[in-house]
Amino acid sequence: MSEDNASKLGEFESVVKDGAVDLLNKLEVGDFSGAIKIIQELSDARHTSFYNEVGYLTRSLHDAIRDFQLDSVEMMIQSGVDSSEATSKITDASDRLNYVIEMTSSAANKTMDMVDSSVPVASELQTQAKALHKDWNRLIQRDLTPQEFRELYKRIDAFLKYTDESATTLHNNLNTILLEQGYQDLTGQVITRVNDLIRDVEERLVHLVSVAGRVDSISGMEHEAENKEKNDDRGHGPAINKKDNPEVLNNQDEVDDLLSSLGF
Amino acid sequence: MKILIVDDFSTMRRIIKNLLRDLGFTNTVEADDGTTALPILQTGTIDFLVTDWNMPGMTGIELLRAVRADDKLKTIPVLMVTAEAKRDQIIAAAQAGVNGYVVKPFTAVALKEKIEKIFERIDSAK
Repeated sequence: MSEDNASKLGEFESVVKDGAVDLLNKLEVGDFSGAIKIIQELSDARHTSFYNEVGYLTRSLHDAIRDFQLDSVEMMIQSGVDSSEATSKITDASDRLNYVIEMTSSAANKTMDMVDSSVPVASELQTQAKALHKDWNRLIQRDLTPQEFRELYKRIDAFLKYTDESATTLHNNLNTILLEQGYQDLTGQVITRVNDLIRDVEERLVHLVSVAGRVDSISGMEHEAENKEKNDDRGHGPAINKKDNPEVLNNQDEVDDLLSSLGF
Repeated sequence: MKILIVDDFSTMRRIIKNLLRDLGFTNTVEADDGTTALPILQTGTIDFLVTDWNMPGMTGIELLRAVRADDKLKTIPVLMVTAEAKRDQIIAAAQAGVNGYVVKPFTAVALKEKIEKIFERIDSAK
């Protein structure tokens, strides 16, 4: 792809070098009109190379954009969606990530719903078991009146029935929680695909940057590297590579140590 | 004791709400960032503020500074529960007058410990 262009760039460089030698020679012998002619030729060569490189950059950019759209159009056609509805891969990736947010949120909420409906069941079991245990001990110590004994008889029957029902409820809730964890598989697959896209986009961008770099070298443009430090106030989100970043604390203990060193 | 929970994710608000309920704090209200939290605080009914850091609109640290700068609100205890764990950020929160700092992901024990510590300190200051 770029070999042809790279050799053209090399050609331009050798034209500049040769021209410079000729220019010095002409100036040494006092041939000013000859020297001006060489400067004009160099300038023309620079313009031609410049336009070639800009043209190449534009084509590369165009190809990169078209590839993204083509890929997503093909995907849409395969999945039976009308191609006029085809969106770019980036839009698609963004939709996919939104899907991850929805899935994780729904799984978290359903799990908490199950916890919310299980906690009172467990509490009720505990309350009833404690009360029965107390009277059971009185029975063992032959401390119950016949009336109380008849009551206990009925209560134990009711408790056994309730325990059976509660166990079923808890069992079902735990199963629902288990099934909800399936979001990990589904979102994992989506994230893997988005990751592939990001890697693909990065490769194409690196290529575009290298092409743009050649335009810069001919035009003599220089870019100042911008160093944008992200603002602490806006937050950074969860740190991913904590171990590699000495500025980030690893756990609650380290946070507590830092705060106590500040007099907390 | 009325507690305001500020976090942009409803699931995290729900987790904190449930943990607080287990600790015996059943009176809670919710807001999804500093901008919506401030008017609730200004009603004067909130006794304790639990806030995330990273939120759209007004962040938690900005909310903390706004609370400390307001004569009517400045004594409200503030617990930060956040994934932000940079040394400079924790120092900034301490300087802004935070009462406790819990990093996500956190445990029920860690949250309980920090809340109890905050109330102990308030009680001993009385």
